[in-house]
Amino acid sequence: MNWPRQEWERLMVANAPPWAVLLVPVILAGFAFAAAAADGILTARAAGGRLTGAVAAAPLAEVARLLTGQRRVTPAEDRVLWRSGLIAVPVAAALAAVVIPFGSVTVSRMSVGVVWFNAMEVLTWAAVWVAGWGANGTLSLVGGYRFVAQGLAYQLPLMLALICAAAGAQSLNVAQVVTAQAHVWFAVWMPAAFAVYLAAVYAFSFLGPFSYPAGRDLAGGVMAELSGPDRLMLQAGRWLLLTAGAGMAVPLFLGGGAGPLLPAWVWSAVKTLAVLAVLVWARRRLPTIRADRYAELAWVVLIPLTIVQALVVSLVVLTRGGVQL
Amino acid sequence: MGLTQALLRVGAARPHVMIVSVPGGTAVRLAAVAELRRRGWPAALSPADADVLLVAGAVPKDLDDPVEEVWRAVPAPRARMQAASPDEVAAVLDRAGSLAGDLSRQRAALPVPRDPPDEGEGPQAGGGPAGMQMPGGTDMPGGMDMADEMGMAGGMDMAGGMGMAGGLPVASRGEDRDGLKLDQLHVPLGPFLPDWPAGLVVRVTLQGDVIQHATAGFLGVTGAGRSYWYEPWLRAAAGDGADADEAARRRLASHLDSLGRFLAVAGWDLAAATARRLRDESLAGAPAATLEPAIRNFARRVGRSRVLAWATRGLGVLTPGEAVAAGVGGPALRAGGDVCARYRQWCAEVAEAAAVLAGRSPTDPGMLEGPRGPLAGQSAPSAGLVAVLPGLLAGAEFAAARLIIASLDPDADELAPAGVGAAHGG
Repeated sequence: MNWPRQEWERLMVANAPPWAVLLVPVILAGFAFAAAAADGILTARAAGGRLTGAVAAAPLAEVARLLTGQRRVTPAEDRVLWRSGLIAVPVAAALAAVVIPFGSVTVSRMSVGVVWFNAMEVLTWAAVWVAGWGANGTLSLVGGYRFVAQGLAYQLPLMLALICAAAGAQSLNVAQVVTAQAHVWFAVWMPAAFAVYLAAVYAFSFLGPFSYPAGRDLAGGVMAELSGPDRLMLQAGRWLLLTAGAGMAVPLFLGGGAGPLLPAWVWSAVKTLAVLAVLVWARRRLPTIRADRYAELAWVVLIPLTIVQALVVSLVVLTRGGVQL
Repeated sequence: MGLTQALLRVGAARPHVMIVSVPGGTAVRLAAVAELRRRGWPAALSPADADVLLVAGAVPKDLDDPVEEVWRAVPAPRARMQAASPDEVAAVLDRAGSLAGDLSRQRAALPVPRDPPDEGEGPQAGGGPAGMQMPGGTDMPGGMDMADEMGMAGGMDMAGGMGMAGGLPVASRGEDRDGLKLDQLHVPLGPFLPDWPAGLVVRVTLQGDVIQHATAGFLGVTGAGRSYWYEPWLRAAAGDGADADEAARRRLASHLDSLGRFLAVAGWDLAAATARRLRDESLAGAPAATLEPAIRNFARRVGRSRVLAWATRGLGVLTPGEAVAAGVGGPALRAGGDVCARYRQWCAEVAEAAAVLAGRSPTDPGMLEGPRGPLAGQSAPSAGLVAVLPGLLAGAEFAAARLIIASLDPDADELAPAGVGAAHGG
């Protein structure tokens, strides 16, 4: 990965035109559909079912089904809180994606992009909790509690993982984080931070081993009382968050749009799809990790681990100005 | 209109089906699950997610109301179907799909009646046999604010059922295990939760998601039909000739059914799907030579999973002494330990049963015992499993409680007068 100067100047991320902000949700949704379709195919295969075109198109059929579905009304619900929580989840995912560079352009080059991403993801704490609470059903309420409990477990290791990437680049600007990986991807010399980050992507989209707030044991938890467009909001929100998380992994740890021959945007897309593929493939292979057990692991193992990782990164940056092979 | 109908058709081509399994309906449930998988139709986890409510088996009288309650919680477009026998399932699902996709018929059925607030169910009294305790249950978190305000104004302690919110009684308070005063919710779990034993109702007092107190029992035990999982043994007891091979197969399938449920509750989707596929294959009479290696692999993978062991260790410890005292036999007694020990026992036993079927090991005398314990005894094996539940659930968190119940997996059919009881009675 030792590139001629003009090659890696290609990595310099420029501002996209303002109208590109409208493309963010569209591109995000496209990737999310691909991930959901792949997930459906893997599910069908595990159950021994037939693989047809309909299986791959199932996420689209699901959208049609939910759009025509009736909204569930529960006694003494808190409608305003409930609905605003549901809407906030996909909105937070789209807002988080604003700072993710796609190839050599980014919608927002804000100087604190890493913090912005983290803040948008923390928005879901309130949103999911309120979505669980507003429905006024026991299982839904417990699901909401569970997301907050899970947040207490995953959030600090995630923030430390983000700090590792930012420290490695000596900047909170996502574009500069990409540029700092011109020589070596952060995933290579910050493996612990990368692994913790990927686990946190599951956690904030409450999918896979971290689907605890929407667990089967709770009959769907925060999803239990949702039908029609409301269900679509939260279900889409989860997949959009997973996609945004996968997309952000590329500039943070996988060198952004860097790569030989192909244009930068193709590399961004390929890397995002690769991360998504790993997340979708692995998601059904692990049991749900309950927040009480994960909190123990997070506080006893992951936080010290990521602190040591951040320390190593800081020392490397202080002494050598970064890793250059 | 055209667009709505088109979208409705697209959605109804792949409806989500909630299977309501009732005691005596095991064979229909298995047929329905297999048919859903063949069609690629997802199973709904809650009524809100369901388009089709499929009642598997004949509804016993005391489950009529809970089924109605679940049906009220299913949003339109929707179809309610009943399959009385396994052969009917495919035709019933065909009808359900076309009904759910028919705009004019769906419009005609509107509006879907709303849930009436539960009447006369104070928080202290506990709920009636609510379907899934989904439709608001009995105690409303929406009332918590009100309880707070009233608690502030009128002294610290509130008697239960004083406040009302939205026509519903608000939660009362009680000491929790950390010495805090928290709202108590009295919630019936079951009889229709996903991956839940048919007919089981566990009434719990929740503080947060910690169970303070629990009672357990079955609804819908009528005695019509006999225990599906004990059929070979019941036939043998009736003198129809025992077929060791069939008994081994049935016991294998029963354990795989329990494992499928347990793994689904544990959130390990891939392993749960494998368990269920293997269960259906062994019931369908797949040759033992192909079945055996697949089951051995599955049992090894699940039995050795460190993550699953980490997630379940120390939960629901049932010592052999307590088990014997409560009349628990079978794998739960042999495991003699926590949830982890119990699912590992099932794994060991399915591998063993598969080996017996494949002729790789001699028929074990233990094979002559039913899946949940021996028939010889004064009460059915599952009666013991239900009896130990309250003790194991007190103090457990909700997720742990679900794992404990799934790791015991009691079967209502054994309790039927014409079930196991009749076998040693006559």
